[in-house]
Order: sequence, then structure tokens, then C-alpha cells
Amino acid sequence: MESPELTSSPRGKKRGRMAHSRAGAHTIAPPLEPGAPSDSELMKGIQAGDADALSQLYDRYNGILKALILRVIHNEAEADDLLQEIFMEIWNQAKNFSEQKGKPLGWMVTLARRRAIDGLRKKQAYARAEERLQNETEQQPDAWVHNATEEEIVLGDTRVLIRKVISSLPPAQQQAIDLAFFRGMSQREIAAKTNTPLGTVKTRLELGLKKIYDGLKDLKDEL
Amino acid sequence: MNFEQFQNQSRLYVIGALEAEELQEFEEAREKFGKKGEDFISKCYALHEAFALSLRPAKSSDAIKDRLMAMVKAKKQP
Repeated sequence: MESPELTSSPRGKKRGRMAHSRAGAHTIAPPLEPGAPSDSELMKGIQAGDADALSQLYDRYNGILKALILRVIHNEAEADDLLQEIFMEIWNQAKNFSEQKGKPLGWMVTLARRRAIDGLRKKQAYARAEERLQNETEQQPDAWVHNATEEEIVLGDTRVLIRKVISSLPPAQQQAIDLAFFRGMSQREIAAKTNTPLGTVKTRLELGLKKIYDGLKDLKDEL
Repeated sequence: MNFEQFQNQSRLYVIGALEAEELQEFEEAREKFGKKGEDFISKCYALHEAFALSLRPAKSSDAIKDRLMAMVKAKKQP
């Protein structure tokens, strides 16, 4: 999904849609074209061996998953290879997916993140990525959301709304979450990396994640 | 551990940021809170989606999809 379709709210602003899992999670899903099958329907198709369902799911989410992988491993060719492996794993492991435990996108993101972090460690590219990360964090401590502009915020698509929530966090909290989620670092590793006391790292993670979690709830109310 | 502390730990848990020594205490609390705890953990996975959706989608090579679908087709054939 290279360019998420936007829907118009009664207030005239373009908005994303909210999706809700059985557990009531306040998840935000990208908008779909009218009549397009839901993610759940596509997953059921994949579980039934329908290759076209996988093709549609790929078209919908390859851009998001590729961005996630790239955020972890910082290598275009490796990211493409991993993307292919991840969708093959989605095809092979679809029978293990249960809607009762969450939405398809959450399952795919969890799978992709785990594979990307594993790949990063296995290929011993960690040191090189660390070096790049060092440069990034020195130059742009809040690089995760640095390119959201006021214009984008007014447009209000799903991505920008989420980035708005994230960018409301102090840079130190963003950095701690970035290192934990996208680099798979433990609290101790983050503490060492940022030369910060362990207790401070824990507090930053707890406060930052709570703010994002609560911000997602507010987004649900707004939408 | 009270439920508010469990909620904080749950958010760390889903992003894999709990330290080993915290995991055991978390698992004990998870058992104590039962379904209420499991429901909250499920909700926390929304964070995964949000972090992924916060990124600008990246373009992947057209060849990737072709290779993927060829592999799927090959696997389906008896």
C-alpha cells in the first residue's frame, strides 16, 4: 500500500478508519477501497489456499512491512529478500493465525519485526547498523518522526495521525521506544547505548508507551 | 503487582523490552489477572500496528512479488 486511500469525515477532513479486534483493541487500520475484502477475509482465503488472497494482502501491506524491515536492517536488498520470506511465512503459517488473538495486520507486523530483528543479528550486520544508528541518533535524535510536516498533519491520514501522537513525546522517550521496538534492544542495552541510568530508561519506556497507547484511544474517539 | 503496574509491564512485554528478571514476575501477575490480563495484553499489540503504520511505506521491487507468487504456485502443485 504505497499511498493509503483517505476517507472524508463529515467535518470535511480526510481521516483514516478505526478497526476493532474482538478483544476491543483500539487498533488503527488503513482505509480500504469500497467493496474491497477485509484483511480478515483475505486471511481466511489464504488459510483456504487462495493465492489471489495472498496477492491482495501483499499489494495492501508490502509497503508498510518493507518500511518496518528497512527501519530495522537498513539495507534495501536484504529488506526485499526478507519481505519475500515474510510473505512466504504468512502463506505457510496462516493456519496458525487466529482472529481471536488479534488483527491480521498486528500478526503480520509482529512476525515481520521478529524476522527482521533475527535477520539483523544473524547476519552480524548489527555492528554496521549500530554505527549508522549512532550517526542517526547524533544527527537526528527524533528521526522516527522528523519528516512529518504541519501540512501533512492537516491532511490527517492514518500515518500522520499516529506520527502526531508519537511526535508529542519528548525525544528521549521516542528514542527509547525506537531502540526497543525497531532495534530489539533490551532496557540494559538501551541504557548502555544512550549512557542513561537503567531506571531512567525504564521510566521513559513506560511513560512513552502509555502516552502512545492513550493517544491511540483518543484517536479512536476523534475518528 | 497491581493492575496498573501490570498494564505498564504489558506494554513493555509486547515490544520485547522486559528484562529477564521482570519476565517471571510478569508471568505470575498474568496468571493472577487471568482473562482481564490477557485482554489487556491483546490490546497492547495495537502498539505494533501503530509503530508500523507510523512509517512511510517503502517501495519494494516488482520482482519480489513475482518470485513470491511463483513460489506459492510451485508449492501448491502436487
